Parts: sequence; C-alpha cells; structure tokens
Amino acid sequence: MGNFGTALILAIWAYLCVFDMLGPTFILAYRPLIAGFVTGLIVGDIQTGLLIGGTLELMALGVYTYGGATVPDFTVGAILGTFFGKGGNFETGIALAIPAALLLTQVDVLNRFLNFIFVHRADRYAEEGNDKAFDSMMVIFSHMIWGLSRALPVFLAVAFGEGLVNSLTAFFNANPWINKGIAVTGGILPALGFAMLLKIMPVEKYPAFLLIGFALFAYMKVPLVGIALIGLAFALVFQYLKYGKKEA
Amino acid sequence: MAEKLTRADLMKSFWRYIFLFQCGWNYERMQSVGYAYAILPIIKKTHPDPDDFKEAFLTNLNFFNTNPVVGAPLIIGAHIALEEAGASYETTEGLKVGLMGPLAGIGDTVVWALYNSIIFSIGASMALAGNAFGPVLAAILVFFPYLAVRYWQFMWAYEQGSNLIHAFGSGAIEKITELATLVGLIVVGGFAPSIVRLTTPLAYNAQTTINGEVAQTSVAIQAQLDAILPYMLPVLTTFVCYWLLKKGWSPVKVILALVVVGFLGGALGIFG
Repeated sequence: MGNFGTALILAIWAYLCVFDMLGPTFILAYRPLIAGFVTGLIVGDIQTGLLIGGTLELMALGVYTYGGATVPDFTVGAILGTFFGKGGNFETGIALAIPAALLLTQVDVLNRFLNFIFVHRADRYAEEGNDKAFDSMMVIFSHMIWGLSRALPVFLAVAFGEGLVNSLTAFFNANPWINKGIAVTGGILPALGFAMLLKIMPVEKYPAFLLIGFALFAYMKVPLVGIALIGLAFALVFQYLKYGKKEA
Repeated sequence: MAEKLTRADLMKSFWRYIFLFQCGWNYERMQSVGYAYAILPIIKKTHPDPDDFKEAFLTNLNFFNTNPVVGAPLIIGAHIALEEAGASYETTEGLKVGLMGPLAGIGDTVVWALYNSIIFSIGASMALAGNAFGPVLAAILVFFPYLAVRYWQFMWAYEQGSNLIHAFGSGAIEKITELATLVGLIVVGGFAPSIVRLTTPLAYNAQTTINGEVAQTSVAIQAQLDAILPYMLPVLTTFVCYWLLKKGWSPVKVILALVVVGFLGGALGIFG
C-alpha cells in the first residue's frame, strides 16, 4: 500500500488541527479553509486544497460548537476531500468530504463522552494533592482521545481508500437507529454537568432566581447576555432591599 | 499568609491556559480540567498548606464552560486577583459561575459569529478564486488578534480585580459573592435549557368531530409538552440528574444511566 506515508502525515495534520482547536487556537487549523489548504500543500495540489477548503468553509461559515454542541466535522471532510479530489477530481473530493464530515459527527459525541476519564483521574490526583501527576496527564494524554478520534479515521480512509468511507456511510445509512441513539445521548449528557453545578449552588435557598432565568429564556427567548443583565439588575435590587441604600 | 504572586506566576498561568485550555473537554464538567490546569500554579502558592491545596484543587475541578477566547482569560485573570487577596471558595466559585454564562454568550457572538465569519468568508472567496493568500490571510488575522485579545483580557482582569478588592473592604467581598451567585443562578436557569437537548417525535391519532364530520388528526406530543412547559424534557432530565446526585449517585453512574436512556430512547424513536 503506497499511501501509508501520506496517510501518516495527514493523520498527524488532523491531530494538529484538533490540538490547535482545543488548545492554542493559533491559526484555527480546524476550519476547513486552513485544514484543506495545508492538506493541498502536503499532497502537492494547492489548487484542490483551496477549492475544497474554500467550498466547505462557505458551507460551514456559521458552524461552531456553541456550548459543546456537536456539528459536522468539516476538518476531516476538508482533509479527505482534498486528498481524494487531488489531480482535478474536485467533484469526487466534495462527494466524499460531506459524508465523511457527517460520519465523524458520531465520533465527536463519543470522544466528548470518553473524556470524562480525565476529569475522574483529576479528582483522584486532587485528593492526593498530586499536581505533578495531573500536569503530566494534561500535557501528554488530555488531547489524545480527541486527536486520535480524528487522526485514525483519516489514516484508515487514506490508507484503505474511499471504499471504506463509502461502506461505512452505507452501513450507517442502513442503520439510522445508531445515529439517532448517539444524537439523543449527546443532547442529554450536558444535563449532568448542570446538575453538578446546581448541586454546589444555593438552589434551595434562592429557587426564585433559577426560575427567573428559565422563564426569560423559555418564554421570552432572551439571549444569554440579556439574561445576565436582567439577572444583574434583579440581584442588585435584591441587595439594595436587603442592605439598604449604602453601597451596592 | 500566602506568598505574593509574581509576574512569572501570572505568565505561567497564562501559557498553561493558552496551550491546554479545552483539552480534556467532556460532557460531565466541560472545560473543568483545563481551568484547573491554568489556575494550579496560582493556587499552589496561595494555599501553601497541603490540605488547603487539595481542597482548592478539587474545587477548581468543578463544572466550567465559557468561550475559550473571549471570556476564559478574563475569568482566570480576575480569579487570580481574588486568590491573591485570599478570597474564599464561595467567592472564587461565585465569580466563575456568575461570569461564564454571560461571557460565553458575548464571546460566541463576537468571536465565532461575527469576527470569524467575516475573515473566513473573505479567505474562502480568495481561495475559490485560486489565491493561496486567502487561507494565509485568515490564519494571520487569527494568530495576532486572538493572542492579543487573550493576553489583554487576562492582564486587565487581574489588575482590575486587585483594584476592586483593595477599593472595598472585606465586607464587600461577601456582597460581591452573593451578587455573583444570584446572577449565576439566573444565568444557569436560562443556560441549562439552551444546551441540554431532548425532544420526542411521538404522536398519536385523535378523532375530532368538526361540523358532524369525524376527522383523524395526528397530534404531536412534543407540541403538547411545549404548550404545558417549554423545554420540559431538558428541564426534567437536569432535575432528575440533580436529584440522583443528591441521593448520592456517583456522576459515573448518572452518565451510564443517561447513555442507556439516551441511546435506547433515540434508537427506538421515543426521543430525537
């Protein structure tokens, strides 16, 4: 298999894109425009990289993971699309990039879930007061599940060709219940995070404030910044009534 | 008393934030480990007693999520100032919880929706015209402004935080804590239903008689739930989790329950 070298380099590039997104955010390498362009440089076809990256970028312009929501993975889409579209096969590239991006959506839920391992190890290190072990975990492992969840599919697809992507897509299309199950799971898992947050806040002492926030969002569709401002006003009035005029 | 913080401590915290802030992001506590990693060298200095340090370490592993570019550095900077002033956990956690929601809203709008959309649509249209400078320009317009805006927020919040604490007495800190907690509760009340997603596609057939004619209509259960209480299912899910945690369930057990219910519910078409 002559593609192993390229497969490895592109897998490393996919990993770096993920790392840049999670950490430094130096060049937003996960944006399809950047991911596709650099892939074009790697495979020696800059024009295809620009075309695939630019096309996917315009499709994904407003697509960001607000609050940890899962969106199609146009990063992997741009990398695979550029690889399979090189040498003037733009149509093939795009036709492959989009199902690849959608396939990876499921993987994203999985890696965001599996990462709970780190937070539980961290709890243990904290109880031991072992900040050195925590630091090593962060530096060496904390980006690994996420990074490999993109690097491995890129490696396999480039090494074993488009047949793999197509048959996987066909499998998931034939079994839509898998996607549905994963999508619902991804939607409700953040409930635990909020529950843990509520547990450390004085919910039972001040339930009214929780209700105000909920009503503002659910019935009046107030954006979060608006909720925060109204919340600040309520809290200031509360303190004004509690402590009197002097000092807020 | 705790040691005084130096500029080197600040920079250490800043670079730790820059390099690994969202690594380890997970559904359970989101940016929690990244936050702890950034603040750790600071709390190690402000909590010299080993048992104190353990407690501070654990406290900073609580749920945290905000915009990583506009928001997070501001909160870390202000938190460092509070740490230096010897603030309590209630104060520092109140600051984090109170600011993370609103700043996520501001940051996501300004950074993702506005700034990025502009520079990336310019970059993409140049790329489509075959101009390799398109992606390069977009990358440059990310690199310098992002780094500058993160550094500036971090330092500004640290300096303002110290001034704030010095300007008021210690009584003010309690009031600020209470204020931040109350704002935090209101924000969480709106934040939770905006992020937790759960709907049902189920429907049932109902017979209605209109003008003597019997008509079959399909009634969507979701629409009826929305009429009773919008976001009822996400709210219920969150409260069931809260109740299970209060009952002493470990978070891992709750996660497993959510995975089973979510996957089966989605696969069987009850939810989705």
